[in-house]
Amino acid sequence: MGDLGAISLWLALALAAYSSVGSVAGKLRGSVALVDSAQAAMYATVVVLFVATMSLVVSFIGHDFEIAYVARHSDLAMPDRFTWVAFYAGNEGSLLYIAMVLSAMTAIAVWRAPERVRDALPYTSAVLMLVLAFFVAVMAVMANPFDKLPFVPVDGEGINPLLTHFGMFFHPPALMAGLVGISIPFSFALGSLLARKTGDEWVDPGRVWGIITWALLAGGLLLGSWWAYTILGWGGYWFWDPVENAAFMPWLALTAFIHSIMVQKRRGMFRMWNIALVNVAFGLALYGMFMNRGGSVPSVHSFGASTLGWVFLLFLAVGVIVPFAIFFWRYPLLKSAQNLDSMLSREAAFLVNNLLLLAIAFVTLWGTVYPLISRLISGEEITVARPFYDQVNGPLMLGLVFLMGVGPMLPWRRANWASIRRALMIPAGVAAVVVVFLIIPSPPGGGLGWGRPYALAAFGLAAFVATGILMEWYRGARARHRNSQENYAAAFLHLIWANRPRYGGYIVHLSVLMVVLGIVGTSFFNTQKDVVLSPGETASIENYEIRYLGTTQIPFDNRTEFVSSVEVYRDGKLLDTISPNRAFYPSFNMASTRAAIRSSPVEDFYVVPSENLPGGDVGFRILVNPLIWWMWVAGPVLVLGTVVALWPEPSRVPARAPARATAATAA
Amino acid sequence: MRKSLCVLCSFLLAALFIVPLAHAQTPPGDSSRSEALEEEAQNIDRMIMCPVCPAETIDQAQVEISFQMRAVIREMLAEGKTREEILDYFVDRYGPDILAAPPKSGVNLLAWILPIVGVAAGLGGVFLVIRAMTGRGSVPSPSGGIPSAPPNTGTGRGRSRSPAGVAAVESTTAPEGDPELSPYLEIADRLLASRRGMRPAPGELPHPNPPPEGDGISTISTSSTPETGSNG
Repeated sequence: MGDLGAISLWLALALAAYSSVGSVAGKLRGSVALVDSAQAAMYATVVVLFVATMSLVVSFIGHDFEIAYVARHSDLAMPDRFTWVAFYAGNEGSLLYIAMVLSAMTAIAVWRAPERVRDALPYTSAVLMLVLAFFVAVMAVMANPFDKLPFVPVDGEGINPLLTHFGMFFHPPALMAGLVGISIPFSFALGSLLARKTGDEWVDPGRVWGIITWALLAGGLLLGSWWAYTILGWGGYWFWDPVENAAFMPWLALTAFIHSIMVQKRRGMFRMWNIALVNVAFGLALYGMFMNRGGSVPSVHSFGASTLGWVFLLFLAVGVIVPFAIFFWRYPLLKSAQNLDSMLSREAAFLVNNLLLLAIAFVTLWGTVYPLISRLISGEEITVARPFYDQVNGPLMLGLVFLMGVGPMLPWRRANWASIRRALMIPAGVAAVVVVFLIIPSPPGGGLGWGRPYALAAFGLAAFVATGILMEWYRGARARHRNSQENYAAAFLHLIWANRPRYGGYIVHLSVLMVVLGIVGTSFFNTQKDVVLSPGETASIENYEIRYLGTTQIPFDNRTEFVSSVEVYRDGKLLDTISPNRAFYPSFNMASTRAAIRSSPVEDFYVVPSENLPGGDVGFRILVNPLIWWMWVAGPVLVLGTVVALWPEPSRVPARAPARATAATAA
Repeated sequence: MRKSLCVLCSFLLAALFIVPLAHAQTPPGDSSRSEALEEEAQNIDRMIMCPVCPAETIDQAQVEISFQMRAVIREMLAEGKTREEILDYFVDRYGPDILAAPPKSGVNLLAWILPIVGVAAGLGGVFLVIRAMTGRGSVPSPSGGIPSAPPNTGTGRGRSRSPAGVAAVESTTAPEGDPELSPYLEIADRLLASRRGMRPAPGELPHPNPPPEGDGISTISTSSTPETGSNG
């Protein structure tokens, strides 16, 4: 099986290289046959890489420990379902996964590409195949998942216990697919530049693939946070780890891109800016992959630093310099069809939104590289971690939330003050009511006082944005209800259906607000306590009390689990008996925890054992985390919004649906 | 209708935001001093890196040394030491990279100042770009001659929807409140709106297809007001 896999890899490399060179040569010489055969080679990479992927899967399931990768990341005791996770537990498998995804995405993107980009398509495909060739070459030469051991071990080392979590089935693959997926919109842009098609041809596929990869990254980040929350055992979910940042930065650039590409789609503006943005996003994605594959900064994700880092650094340099060189070479051709009409317009709001998003990305990048810079300047080791990012990025994020409320209310082209006042009065009023209510001491208000201005501002802004969106929905549904006698529910659904990009966007905005609620709730209002309890002892936090009953040891093949039994009381009443546990994996010399969480929209009650002492005493960390439930619910909402926004327009019904939407929303 | 909507919304949102928070609040009790100390201790925990684990603060890391360091912090706080003294104590023992963020002094001030300067410069840059793109900067407007046109030709005005709706940016191109012209402009606007199937009121007015060049509004107002024929 291993041999078949190894052969497939080399074949994939040859096909990708041929496809890349063939497309460009065929296009330049005007040879349709050559372009077609290059395209066939591109499709063939999917088949060949699929064979390689399946060979590795079969080797895992058949416990073929002669293959070094299988021996390192699995053992006989591993259930078959973890093969999916073990597959990308190390560099080699991750690279194979990335190559597989890239080649499949390329095939779909080229197959589904609209007629308008046909001229540029050979270049687009060539760029993608070049990227693919890089990944496959690195894999074949430096990190081959099919390398064999000189002997056949009896058993493998087993899977990293941190990975045996439900979230791990989706978090890494979503992030890797998102990172490599940015190549698709990037290649559409670069292909258009190379083909001198510098108008708006690439906008539609660029936007669609931009949103797909954006959603993959967003979902991956949320799942990663959830994983950290339930398994890392400190009660948090995000700590600006270098590798988290590495996925967060391209996501920010993509967020800017999927907003500003709408301006080009609607108004033919920001042509240069969009290409520059997608180049930046691609560069940041390469940087992210470099960090993942053995970057220079310590991180909890450093899966064994390796020489791969240098190769990825080189690729990063090429991947940033060459596209920008091409960009400046074609610069004279890139002229926007339209001028901006007014500072007070949705276009201008989008520009400021882009600036803030890039600013957060820039601050984050600066934080990630500052330790290296400091080492160079003063020779001093400096750490840049959470307090820095919280302080610098926090205000910028609040600014973004504000724009999220204002931007969609502004019309394209030009707004006037009277209409702005009309659109924003109610949201601003509601925000003011919420803030005042929160300041009022004692019930029924929140009694925050003035002590936490950030939290006040964040809740006020969230109320502002939410009101704006809900009003827009209500007005549209009401208009439809009146015009067509539909009931409100039907009117609302039709409203969304009639202008999917816009209303899908609103749904995503709501999910962002949910994340904001979770962040503010946990950052400003959580309570945490570390206690050591003997069996029978109690500890209290806020209006909760826990009684620790005892711990049972359960031996497994690869680990020993220490399951604690804990009663939870609220206001003196028994709520539940929960079982947080802590498992020790001797072969990894490593412990892994599973927090017991009682979750509700109001607050999470969270108990995790942080150490098991001799004699049955256990160190517990207890937390009350308000509002974090909303953050995890945001995930499905975000996916729903993305699907609505991306749902294809019916191609044969021109202009009717949009016209209705206009009537409905304007009335 | 709008009023009731407003009330409804505020109640919904109030319920959404406030009920949870009311629950989350801790009533001040006798133990408030020790609670305040513990809160400060936790804040300090989050500012100190664990020396043996990659990229984790001692608040997060669950290893022996971070348990000990947390205990030291609580002892020092109980002795009445300040946050600065405690941080200095750990910097003396482990070096500056024990801190989770660069100190706000000396060379490391750069880490804090550069982002602020960068963001400020970016905002300035965007402002300049928008100004240039709206045609008030050095870039001439494609419809030609707005800034140089005599103030009372109405050329500049013809491009806006209605006199009241002129954004502040436009105010120099023609004197505000030109009473003779405004009725005509309003008629033109209404005509224009009905012809394109659009309402003049702001709100969501998507352009299914942006006009290929120039803008439709100036074309139509050109034909309706003869003196603007001097364009180009």
